[in-house]
Amino acid sequence: MSEQAWSEEFKLLRAEVSSLVKTIPGAVSTVVLRSGDRSVEVSWTHQEGPVTRASGEPEPPRDEVADPAIRSVVAPLVGTFYVAPEPGAEPFTRRGARVESGQTVAIVEAMKLMNQVPSEWSGEVVEVLVADGQPVEFGQELVRVRVDGT
Amino acid sequence: MTAPPFRKVLIANRGEIALRIARTCRELGIATVAVYSTPDRDSAAVRFADEAVHIGPAAPRRSYLSMPGPIEAALRCGADAVHPGYGFLSEDPDFATVCADNGLTFIGPRPEVMAAVGDKARVRELMRAAGLPVLPGSDGAVPTLAEAGRVASEIGYPVVVKAAAGGGGRGIGVARSAAELPRVHQETVALARAVFGNGEVYLERYVERARHVEVQVLGDEAGNVVHLGERDCSLQRRNQKLVEEAPSPGLDPRTRAALGEHAVAGAKAVGYTGAGTMEFLVDEAGTVTFMELNARIQVEHPVTEALTGIDLIREQIRIAAGLPLAVKQEDVRLSGTAIECRVNAEDPEADFRPAPGRLEVFDVPGGPWTRVDSGFVRGDTVPPYYDSLLAKLIVWAPTRAEALARADRALAEFTVAGPGVVTTIPLLRRLISHPVFAAGRHTTRFVHELLDG
Repeated sequence: MSEQAWSEEFKLLRAEVSSLVKTIPGAVSTVVLRSGDRSVEVSWTHQEGPVTRASGEPEPPRDEVADPAIRSVVAPLVGTFYVAPEPGAEPFTRRGARVESGQTVAIVEAMKLMNQVPSEWSGEVVEVLVADGQPVEFGQELVRVRVDGT
Repeated sequence: MTAPPFRKVLIANRGEIALRIARTCRELGIATVAVYSTPDRDSAAVRFADEAVHIGPAAPRRSYLSMPGPIEAALRCGADAVHPGYGFLSEDPDFATVCADNGLTFIGPRPEVMAAVGDKARVRELMRAAGLPVLPGSDGAVPTLAEAGRVASEIGYPVVVKAAAGGGGRGIGVARSAAELPRVHQETVALARAVFGNGEVYLERYVERARHVEVQVLGDEAGNVVHLGERDCSLQRRNQKLVEEAPSPGLDPRTRAALGEHAVAGAKAVGYTGAGTMEFLVDEAGTVTFMELNARIQVEHPVTEALTGIDLIREQIRIAAGLPLAVKQEDVRLSGTAIECRVNAEDPEADFRPAPGRLEVFDVPGGPWTRVDSGFVRGDTVPPYYDSLLAKLIVWAPTRAEALARADRALAEFTVAGPGVVTTIPLLRRLISHPVFAAGRHTTRFVHELLDG
């Protein structure tokens, strides 16, 4: 075709591709345009959108076991984690032990106040993640429980 | 090279002021710890700080207003000092006491000074005794409506009813006649109880048309106090500042000198240490009266920094470490004009309803003597749980006219967009280019008259 006609067609093609690219839900990596027998190819990589967290809730653990039956008891405040009600006393719980919903599994102490941390779930303790006397953050995983019935 | 004044500072705040404090700490070689609520996890201050501790969920009373969080975080990180910023726990004497009890230096005044100046009703008396002019008003809090009525008829209407535990422009109601007083009194008491946990109120004569002029002071532990000039914060809407500037335009030099002297005298009288701000009203006749003493770093502190070349956060840190003031009064140089515009995520067309959201576009201005302090960068989401301050834009120029032109240029460059996000940038441009403001003839009634009149 003539130089001018090609130029016009190219402009149209480019406009088409530009609007196509804008609608792609990911990062465009390749665009190929042919003219003889027409062709437009676009390659893109699938991109996950930002994960939005429900407001006010602690984040689910990043290294969460793929097993949906496992739930985590998390720290309700910043402080020091204790496994037992007093030094030398029996721990509240341990790996393999049974827990009932509402049962205290740990204490987090902040400014000399002992805050009991209950398990929301009934089930079996699969892991106690923090050592006695270690500092913990708000939302930090303390105890993992395999929930009954799952 | 001298050792830093502290090894590690925990910043018990969020947003722009947390980042601001962290930057000066970094310059001083002080390690920083940020604390954050869940929605602030990826905030600029948290990314900047050397360490960060998750202290609670979004609700301020379970995060930034809750003392155990920052205290425990400070202890676990081995911080030796805590900077409270502004708002939140910054004027809570109990927090200052708890810090001290846990071996942490609170970067601010002593708890007993905070308690004295935090009672707005009582501090009037302290300042009067120090020789400062105060408005006719009640002698401390008024215990009953009947007493309020008696005081009001003595001082004459209109009167303003104010929360004794208030501050930041909240808990203020105006009664223009005896008929209005019961309602205004009741509303102010109720609000004070709800917001400040203390329903005590006091009365003052109401000055209809005045300039809000405040003076920045610095005091060290040896008792030296200097002032760093005044700031004019008369551009306000419902007692919330929109624009601040220094110096106060058109202020008589004798009035300026008097303000500085009063500020120093008042600060010395209460044994003030750290950075503080003395607020005054200047009425249309040029009469000065004491309003309140703010015992914290203020939002608009960069305006004073621009005029003086003094880093106020740095001075706060040094004073808290027991170091003497870096300047004597005769060394303080005030140069040019600085203007700060508070850019809020609010919709002026919808009664300034907060309009937070994801900042898909957030292009901040730059250029000569143009400073932007913000807690956000592009891509951040403004959370709905806290104040609506997006950014502070501060410009400096040798003259006020140039500073106004510079502020307008910078505001015009400032591009913000996102789903549901609305800002006060267009309103700010309108306000600063208004002939009354440009002439420096505005009072605290100006915004109300422009928008609601």
